Amino acid sequence: MSTTSPSRWKAVRREAGRALTAVVIALAVALIVILCTSADPGAAFRTLLTAPLSSNRTMGLWIDDVAKLTLTGLAFSLVFQARQFSMGVQGQVYMGGLFAALIAMSPIGTTPLAIPVAMLAAMCAGAVYGFIPGYAKARFGASEIVSSLMLNYIAILVVNYLIRAHLAPAGTGQLMTAKFPDTAIFPAIIPGTRFDLGIIIALVATFAVWFLLYRTSWGLKLRLVGHNPKFAEYAGIRSSFIMVSAMTVAGAFGGLLGSVFVQGRAFGNLAQSFDGNLAFEGILIAIVARSRPLAVPFVALAYGYLRQGAQLMGIRTDVPTEMISVVQAIIILLVASSFSLPGKKFFMGLLGKKPAPATPEAAK
Amino acid sequence: MIELLVTVFSATFFVTVIRTTTPLLFATLGGLISDLSGALNVALEGMMLIAALTAVIVSVYAPWYVAVLSGVAAGAMLGALMALFHLRFKADIILVGFAVNILATGGTVFALAQATGGDKGTSINLQSKAVPAVNLSFLEAIPLIGPTLKALLSGHSILSWLGVFMVFAVWYFLFRTPYGLWLRGVGEYPAAPEAAGIPVGKVRAWSLVASGALAGIGGAQLAMFNYIGFTRDMTSGRGFIALGAVLLGARHPVGAMLAALLFGIFEGLAVVMPNLFNWIPGEIIQTIPFVVTVLALILFSYRAQRALKTRAQARA
Repeated sequence: MSTTSPSRWKAVRREAGRALTAVVIALAVALIVILCTSADPGAAFRTLLTAPLSSNRTMGLWIDDVAKLTLTGLAFSLVFQARQFSMGVQGQVYMGGLFAALIAMSPIGTTPLAIPVAMLAAMCAGAVYGFIPGYAKARFGASEIVSSLMLNYIAILVVNYLIRAHLAPAGTGQLMTAKFPDTAIFPAIIPGTRFDLGIIIALVATFAVWFLLYRTSWGLKLRLVGHNPKFAEYAGIRSSFIMVSAMTVAGAFGGLLGSVFVQGRAFGNLAQSFDGNLAFEGILIAIVARSRPLAVPFVALAYGYLRQGAQLMGIRTDVPTEMISVVQAIIILLVASSFSLPGKKFFMGLLGKKPAPATPEAAK
Repeated sequence: MIELLVTVFSATFFVTVIRTTTPLLFATLGGLISDLSGALNVALEGMMLIAALTAVIVSVYAPWYVAVLSGVAAGAMLGALMALFHLRFKADIILVGFAVNILATGGTVFALAQATGGDKGTSINLQSKAVPAVNLSFLEAIPLIGPTLKALLSGHSILSWLGVFMVFAVWYFLFRTPYGLWLRGVGEYPAAPEAAGIPVGKVRAWSLVASGALAGIGGAQLAMFNYIGFTRDMTSGRGFIALGAVLLGARHPVGAMLAALLFGIFEGLAVVMPNLFNWIPGEIIQTIPFVVTVLALILFSYRAQRALKTRAQARA
């Protein structure tokens, strides 16, 4: 990592250029899809691209999403840097949300301690939930992908059950808890919008993850294990410990996201299926940010804008919000692959000419 | 408890288990092929989902077999897409797989809304067809065991029978044909087949296509037999469970079948249990297949790890 600053800037510019190209290609495909399906394609596409700026309220929604996307992006970045494909952020969000809600609804909820204690509880719950697949992999060799995905489903079902049967106000048949006391809900930074403590938590978390990864020996070891596990082992690094701890710390951030969800002004209570699949979109954030924590908020800002535009497009026009998944998939595919300039190599690839003799992937 | 045992050892439960196992079995076989070629196919879930929707929409306009085939084609095309990005553009296979999954969760809802004219939940107002069940009532004529045989064997989906055949076909392909040997060699140690002049990239690409096609049959069975019609997120983790079943089945077709059967039994239990134990909340019953998958995975990995260790010790 002895990159001098000019070459580092070059790398940043190159990555940003790649991401931007991917977004442009993805949006072009989105435009084609809209043209094919919408009665008024112009309005739909305009809504997708400009609607988030249309009012204070929509900008608040956007920033609120950015905070959450940053946190899930950070959680994924941490495990991706250790080259662990733990997909458990969604489960951690639900567990974190559950425990934050339990604290907020307990007697502590009405004291000034409510916010910090609930956040702490959520982080602990998330950490435990992140620890399980890590431990199962380190101790038993169980694939962390499968176990973390299974834990997601379990967490969602258990939290949904607890809400329906125990936490919702009795007799109402509602699928959400009552509003938390005001002391347990994040204060608004700009009154009247959803611009709340969440965004500050996200920025602090960004700095914390950066510090952990790049300024501590634990982070150095983690990145080494991710880059070259064999070398790390020769260097005497206990890679299984690093693996488990990376997943646990990422779990804590996942849990924190759960508390930001339920205690944020957007909800202020615990509802069934509250994450709206946002937790999984951290994969996209982490990939586009190349798992660099300092890049995560910027990617979240850009992606959150697109996401909010899609939501508004779904509400205001005849194109469903889910159309955006096409854009998501294309961005992931393009950024994760090694296309250099989309023109040359891509077309050569289409023509079936190999740019260079493919090296066998003997590393596997 | 007695009621549960009576239910479990009944012919109807057996039929239920075969029904729940079939989609899992196809997805597991698909996962097995790509896993043996050295590519972990995490997109089984998305492939099944997209194939299920494709089959449902096509079945409105075409006979059931065309619908199933179009589901298979959809899965195979997704496999080809993965191969393109993984092999030619060198993207990580797991990230490519999740891109397909993300495309599937949102894209199916989008396409469903387009096909039904705005319904984002189910395809209930589409007249979709079903895969026919195989009627073997003539078995009843056999004295003594006839009625039991009929109860056990009659009424399964054609695709269930195809599944049993596919287990054999995949086994035969993998262990009795040169291409199967190539495929396993590519997954085991790609440098050696490369040196022997075997087109490593091509083998991997075709195994991803085959993997998608198999997952596609699973999706078609799900939406045209287990349920008639498409519901959003109807695969609900089956593709990921299949991924676990590949590992649990010791990367062998017969093992894959047994693992799929195990998860099928627990899914069947989750189907029948709400009627027997209404004091257990439904959500908790629904967690059973997932909990079983985690536990089975941990147990199996632990045993495999220990076996590896003892072998290493024996060699030393």
